[in-house]
Amino acid sequence: MHQQRPRENVLHGIDSGTETISGKPVPVALKKSKTAGKQRTENVNHVQKTVTKSSWLKSKSLRENLAGYGFISPWLIGFFLLTAGPLLFSLIVSFSDYNITSEMTFTGLDNYKKMFTADDLFWTSLWNTLYFVLFSVPLTTAGAIFIAVLLNSKIKGMKIFRTIYYLPAVLSGVAVYFLWMQLLSPGTGLINLVLSWVGVEGPAWLFDPNWTKPALIFMKLWSVGGGMLLYLASLQGVSNTLYEAADLDGANIFQKFFHITLPMITPIIFFDIITSTIGAFQIFQEAYVMTKDGDGGPAHSLLFYNLHMWNNAFEVFDMGYASAMAWMLFIIIMILTAFNLKFSKRWVHYEGGDNK
Amino acid sequence: MKKKKTLSLLLSLIMLFSLILAGCSGQNSSGSAEDSGGKVTLKFWSFWGSETRRPVIEKMIDDYNKSQDKVVVKHTFVPWGDIWTKNLAAVAAGNPADVVVTDINDVSHRAKNNQSTDLSQYFDDNMKDRFYPHLWETVLYDGKPYAAPFNTDTRLLYYNKKAFKEAGLDPNKPPTTWKELEEYAKKLDVKKGSTYERIGFYPLWGGYGAPSWMRNADEGKNFLEGNKIAIDTPAKADALSWLADWKKRYGKKTIEKWDAEFANGQTNPFVAEKVAMYTDTGTFYTQIRDSGKDLDFGVAPIPAYKEGGRNWSDGGGFVLEVPKGSKHPKEAADFIKYMTDVKAQKYWAEKNYDNVANKEAAESAAKGMDGQEKMVYQASIDNLKDTQLAPIPIQYPDFMSRINPQIDAVMLGKAKAKDALKKAEADVKKIKRK
Amino acid sequence: MKTAAQQPKFYQTMKFRRNLKHSIILFFLIAGSIALLTPLWWMISMSLKSPEEIAQFPPTFIPEKFHFSNYIEAWSTGPFTRWALNSVFLAVVGTIGSVFVNSLVAYGFAKLKFKGRNFWFVVVLATMLLPGFVTMVPQYMLFSKLGWINTYLPLLVPSFLGSAFFIFLLRQFMMTIPNEFIEAAVMDGAGHLKIWWHIMLPLTKPALITVAIFAFNGSWNDLLGPLLYLNEEHLYTIQLGLQTFKGSVQTQWNYLMAMSVMILLPTVLIFFLFQKFFIEGSNISSGTKG
Repeated sequence: MHQQRPRENVLHGIDSGTETISGKPVPVALKKSKTAGKQRTENVNHVQKTVTKSSWLKSKSLRENLAGYGFISPWLIGFFLLTAGPLLFSLIVSFSDYNITSEMTFTGLDNYKKMFTADDLFWTSLWNTLYFVLFSVPLTTAGAIFIAVLLNSKIKGMKIFRTIYYLPAVLSGVAVYFLWMQLLSPGTGLINLVLSWVGVEGPAWLFDPNWTKPALIFMKLWSVGGGMLLYLASLQGVSNTLYEAADLDGANIFQKFFHITLPMITPIIFFDIITSTIGAFQIFQEAYVMTKDGDGGPAHSLLFYNLHMWNNAFEVFDMGYASAMAWMLFIIIMILTAFNLKFSKRWVHYEGGDNK
Repeated sequence: MKKKKTLSLLLSLIMLFSLILAGCSGQNSSGSAEDSGGKVTLKFWSFWGSETRRPVIEKMIDDYNKSQDKVVVKHTFVPWGDIWTKNLAAVAAGNPADVVVTDINDVSHRAKNNQSTDLSQYFDDNMKDRFYPHLWETVLYDGKPYAAPFNTDTRLLYYNKKAFKEAGLDPNKPPTTWKELEEYAKKLDVKKGSTYERIGFYPLWGGYGAPSWMRNADEGKNFLEGNKIAIDTPAKADALSWLADWKKRYGKKTIEKWDAEFANGQTNPFVAEKVAMYTDTGTFYTQIRDSGKDLDFGVAPIPAYKEGGRNWSDGGGFVLEVPKGSKHPKEAADFIKYMTDVKAQKYWAEKNYDNVANKEAAESAAKGMDGQEKMVYQASIDNLKDTQLAPIPIQYPDFMSRINPQIDAVMLGKAKAKDALKKAEADVKKIKRK
Repeated sequence: MKTAAQQPKFYQTMKFRRNLKHSIILFFLIAGSIALLTPLWWMISMSLKSPEEIAQFPPTFIPEKFHFSNYIEAWSTGPFTRWALNSVFLAVVGTIGSVFVNSLVAYGFAKLKFKGRNFWFVVVLATMLLPGFVTMVPQYMLFSKLGWINTYLPLLVPSFLGSAFFIFLLRQFMMTIPNEFIEAAVMDGAGHLKIWWHIMLPLTKPALITVAIFAFNGSWNDLLGPLLYLNEEHLYTIQLGLQTFKGSVQTQWNYLMAMSVMILLPTVLIFFLFQKFFIEGSNISSGTKG
């Protein structure tokens, strides 16, 4: 108990004096505020004093504010210390001819103009990326949910299945891309072999411009285990009693899925769609490794937005233009995300209530 | 109460970790340039970290360290490809290595962007005499050296002598012109039903790509000579349609299938005897040697466009460069001189079976070899006189990104060579930089 | 079970239906597993081949001769033990940081009503939108100014300052937790730090495990970070070590694959072990909810 005092002070900034170590409820503000005046000051150092003087309601909101900022402070520190500077830097640079090492002359909107007028590959790369986003996001989301629901069954050996399905998601690096090049090989690759069993002659995949993007989407589906894990985690929160009640009502599997499971995991679906859209827009590694030195594959069919940007930044050393491209992408995804956020109110269901 | 304790315990554990980290980090970063005994420590970054290359480069460094008592070179392996990204970031931050291995073709591109150090004040006038001239020219920017050539390569035509005999061709008479190449290839093809068992030759497999063939046809003229554009020329258009004809002859399906089969670089079609003639560098010999097969093969220069034409070939290579911002450019230049001198270069050439930039070292390495080894190595040295590099044109650093899709369009039968090159030339003009 | 046994007829149909359902699920799962494991088999198969066999055409599905020694040889080509330990250190410390810090921040965003919450949350999301390439160089310059180059600080400190992805993820999970739990605790006079520790963390256990798994893998597989910030080989990670097999001229495929398999093992092991908590978490959560 003798530790109590110093600790109280340490925690003070974070939970703003609502309770102390003993675990015993100490509604300081509540007790004291009854006799308190209505003054308030912004000074954090005087919280304790002001709390005693302010009304219960006001002190509560102040405390909530302080607590809120206290909780998010690690991120705020990181943001201001490590992230904000480089972000701002890249924004400024996007209006210049910055070449990373020496030049940096202000060029106004030239870089942005160039995107729409002089650089044909900008449009090629944007189109390739949109194609990829449009197919890969819905497919991987649906695939991940489907697999997660299957893996959530209570059957013996499920642990092993879960591990197997998660495995491809942890594989990374050259080895994976190499494996896929081999699997997708039209002559000796396994995929076309399987297709031939059902009488389909498989395409040349990575060597036919019409099939390169589907090949990559196929690859993405293989490593759907990351998304699966998210849904699996969220399915743990769906109470069994709901299913039992539905069983009593005689609901079938599909009814249960659409009326219980799906609504309960909408917050995670929302998360998954937003983050995988961002991820899909930023696809890079696959295209970089699987095309020779990142040249964008046959007929530029794998020249994705980020690959084009990378080439501009690190091959041409035109970081100004690359930054402008990055901020253009930022705007595009921002609009989509804002739309998503707005629309989400209609379909995302938070058990936690009124929050959004 | 108990939980509270675990919480505080955890938090303090995290703090402790950070403290330890901060502690060891301080130690690490303080180990800077001045070594004990007043020696200068040079940081040297290379991508030679494999089991075969690392001992060679480290022996050379060790020899240098022992050869004098002022400088200690410390070698760090940085992965292939990523090494240049890292170098760029380090130069930008003003904290680079002292010597870095970089690609010879973008020396002037980097020099122009102020990423490397002008070494003219450290090199004396006869420095250039030790290198093959085409290599030395490429490390010059504004007439000043910004690097020193280290190793190089050149494309040769490898041909399977056994297959030649089977097809009734003289195994000692490889094709010398494009026309002969076509004739030979047809004879060397082995077809079973509708599928090819062996393909005589396909120009786009191996190390000599479409741009190389187009240059070969156009008297060695690159797409951009300096900053002069020569993309849409009759000879290049002719070469491009010639390439498309090869694909037509073997069929799109066959080519795509074979492309994919050998794209990963794990199996080689020439070593697997699926292709009878193949273009690759001199060092490719080691792959044949290590395959464990007793392949009976010969090497020849790349066939010429027309009879009497020159056997143009393509090359590349790596250089030693001092990044801008190095604290010890003088010592770095001294190390570079050592590494490009005969002794070190000969050692590299012999141990790695690689073409080196130092003329004397290359000749002397060849003298010590015999058999197939000597045959290929000597051929590669002789080939250097017809070898061209493809330095990145400063005003159009990404010009290939505009030409490649047009080449692809022709190869896919979607465009005529003449129109495609016209389009490519127009597209390249659009991306001119200051 | 006991009650079911007392009503054999009902029990039998349930069992039948359950078995049918399970068989269908199993069928799908096994089919999927084969599809997922075949590429992995290629990897293992190649890791056991001799260089000569790898060069063979057409490639063999099962090695003619199993070269288990590839694993030992690959490991002994460099200081891989050291590199692996470095990786473990980075991954473990980074994971601890990620789990605690991100859940703290997420709690703030999910359950505390403070002024500017929505604004800051949008900023959190916004930091994910900009491609990392364009901030890579300025960030490097920043770390260089701080004297952090060639230390583990650029790789670890960010883990302790929250990541947008994990904050967003945990916030979503926390928002599914009914507010009544918190309100009740507040009524009892509990502070938010206590609520976070005693209520939120146990209730979001599956999500925290997910974050831990993601964070571990993220750090374990990170190549670019160590590549940029570490200048001395004794500080390198195992992913950087793996790159030694990939050369400018030739790649040692058998070693590369053997090392890739070995690199994969810890992550698989972690996943397999953490699943236990996954299930435990589910019990707590449904227990408190039901």
